[in-house]
Amino acid sequence: MWRKPLSASYRYFECRNGGPKRFWSCPAVGSCSAPTLPARRITALQAQNLWRRQFEEMGVMEPDQSSGYIIAHLLGAKTIESLEPTRLKEFLSQEETEQLWRLCTKRLNRMPVQYVIEQWDFRDLTLKMRPPVFIPRPETEELVEHVLTYLQKKCGSGVGAAAQPTCLEVGCGSGAVSLSLLKSLPELKAFALDQSRDAVDLTRENALRLGLQNRLQLYNLDIKDAETLLTLCRPSVLVSNPPYLFSEDMAALEPEILSFEDHAALDGGKDGLEVIKQILTLAPQILSDHGRVYLEVEPRHPPLIRQWVEVNVEELQYVETRHDITGRPRFCILQKESRTRLDLD
Amino acid sequence: MLVSRCFRLCSLFRHAFHHTGVGRGGRRALTAHGSHRHANGAGMLQLRGPALAPRRLSHGGLKDLYDNKTVQRYVRQLMADFEDVSSKLQLAHLSESDRKAFMRKRAELRPLADVMGAVEEAERELEEVLSLTQSSAGTKDEDELLTQLLKEEAEQISSKILSLRKDLIRALVPVDPLDSSNVLLEVVSGRTTGGDICQQFTKEMLDMYQGFALYKNWDFEVLNYTPAEYGGLHHASVRIDGENVYKHLKHEGGTHRVQRIPEVGLSSRMQRIHTGTMTVIVLPQPVEFDVHIDPKDLRIDTFRSRGAGGQSVNTTDSAVRIVHLPTGITAECQRTRSQLQNRDTAMHVLRARLYQSVMGKETEQRHTARKQQVGTRSQSERIRTYNFSQGRVTDHRTGYTTRDIKELMRGGETLDNLISDVLEHAEREAVLEEAESWNCSVKQPESEQSAD
Repeated sequence: MWRKPLSASYRYFECRNGGPKRFWSCPAVGSCSAPTLPARRITALQAQNLWRRQFEEMGVMEPDQSSGYIIAHLLGAKTIESLEPTRLKEFLSQEETEQLWRLCTKRLNRMPVQYVIEQWDFRDLTLKMRPPVFIPRPETEELVEHVLTYLQKKCGSGVGAAAQPTCLEVGCGSGAVSLSLLKSLPELKAFALDQSRDAVDLTRENALRLGLQNRLQLYNLDIKDAETLLTLCRPSVLVSNPPYLFSEDMAALEPEILSFEDHAALDGGKDGLEVIKQILTLAPQILSDHGRVYLEVEPRHPPLIRQWVEVNVEELQYVETRHDITGRPRFCILQKESRTRLDLD
Repeated sequence: MLVSRCFRLCSLFRHAFHHTGVGRGGRRALTAHGSHRHANGAGMLQLRGPALAPRRLSHGGLKDLYDNKTVQRYVRQLMADFEDVSSKLQLAHLSESDRKAFMRKRAELRPLADVMGAVEEAERELEEVLSLTQSSAGTKDEDELLTQLLKEEAEQISSKILSLRKDLIRALVPVDPLDSSNVLLEVVSGRTTGGDICQQFTKEMLDMYQGFALYKNWDFEVLNYTPAEYGGLHHASVRIDGENVYKHLKHEGGTHRVQRIPEVGLSSRMQRIHTGTMTVIVLPQPVEFDVHIDPKDLRIDTFRSRGAGGQSVNTTDSAVRIVHLPTGITAECQRTRSQLQNRDTAMHVLRARLYQSVMGKETEQRHTARKQQVGTRSQSERIRTYNFSQGRVTDHRTGYTTRDIKELMRGGETLDNLISDVLEHAEREAVLEEAESWNCSVKQPESEQSAD
């Protein structure tokens, strides 16, 4: 039933070092121990500098941002810049210092910052994060923007049989996409599914925190088995950020991803298209007429998808490829259409 | 006879305070009985003030522009235009477009005409009263009382006239369409050879503007805040939303200088004054931007990994920088954890900067010969000096000095007064400029220098 077993929950463990004040090198992820707690009280600024150096020495990526975000979170803020300089020069309490050491040690072991502080921002939302549920990427913020523009235009013009627009998300992860859409479109109803129990649970948690649970229906389903949904909804948009990495590229991923995030949310098979093809096969059956598919994909995918759809999916028209903020081809837009007539919005 | 004169006085009083038009002052109600009690201070220019009253060195404000010959000619011409347009509108056969144009012109000039009318009326009244005064300068007691009353009335009307003249000049001030806009305000520390006087001053300046925003009931939102190492501020940008924000803050842009004796260290013992500077930049943010930005002209810099990006990367670097390629203008933001939000903020700032750049060029083109005579203050010239050791602040454009630097740095009424003074000075300059440029365009046989 499940596509793949979760490849081990994140391998993280912590061993205490009671020895002299020495920093150990980390032979493997998970084996780093923390530097000893400081003898004297230190300020937040001093702690940030200390840990930034520590991260640098240990080859932890983005040492500056990492130390900054963790300290800010400890002090109740989102970013270091938003804190008063005077606050940063105050001494940390014993409790704060211990907590900071605990958090930074996790980062030392390559746990992503988002998991360390258990939250992250996506567009105008703050979402709870928990391993191994996939952490939203910046590119996906743009995916939401494209869908929003489309839905706003559609609803604004008053066209469409359903007064209430509906969308379906395949692979909701932490709920970023669906919840963003719901927040921005008060009229929207959303259906979302994920084959991971953890993901569905986290999405539900985030929905409740944001007060959006009433307009969201969640399903712990694999897309392969999603025919049951056909009776439940007729969305005008199907949106997805499906696993799209090529299997052969998985090994080269940084430890933050490999050791902590659900591989099933990343690995798209040999050509990265395994899940995408399933989605596109289902799409015409489930979408309303002239409904659209919005996908986030790997930069090599757009021409491959275009070709494949041409041959294999009668009722789907390839509309457009859009690029992300870094200039890479990233988003594919398709529309449900009979072949004879093209009625693009 | 005396009685009839008194009654005449009464009617004069009533008359005088009827036609104030758009004028301010002089409107305190005087009872119609012609009582010799006159409303206290009404219409009288308050020349007394608190002990720490600010001093002006040079200009006398708007009212003395009335005596400026260039301005007078300008006003006369505008009045002639008004008459002309009004009479043309009486004509029977007018094309629709002509009629519309004339009506628009008349509507533009009407406020000026109204005030002008009020001034002339008041001047006539004053003449009447003065002539009455002359004739009643007798030796009898009852005449003495009358003389007294007439004198008081003359004073009343005089001050009303002064106030009306000020209004007249104000009606000449060209309207800045950006006045009602919100602004983007940036503070940037200057460079010093040592110490942190610039950075400290920059922080105090931002605090001052925050206080001012509070005083004015404006919204103050920090977009970027880059502190300096030792507690000062390196640079910051804030968005200020509210009523007529740009009107009040537009003259704050420029270099501000600080002078203070440090409290500790060698210099403090030697009482050596440290000097530093900071720069304020004020950009209007009108609600409707008419800056068209072609996405192709933009280069957006964000964290960019090698490889495919997307799912294959986990990053917390959400900083965004946008470069407008044709002009080289940039904007950046790393304020939030969301890359998209940072991008939106950066775009917003970029629009404002582009708008300013476009507007700046237009404004420059509008400058006439007068500006070249007076000399424009370039960005590097100091507009204001804050001397903490002597406790005073001087604006170099107007000469306005205030001695309550502590109060000023709180951003309350003291700052408001300074800013109002600068505004008035600028308005005065603008009127003179308009008058002069009209003067130049209508070739006068005798070109007269402005007599101020």
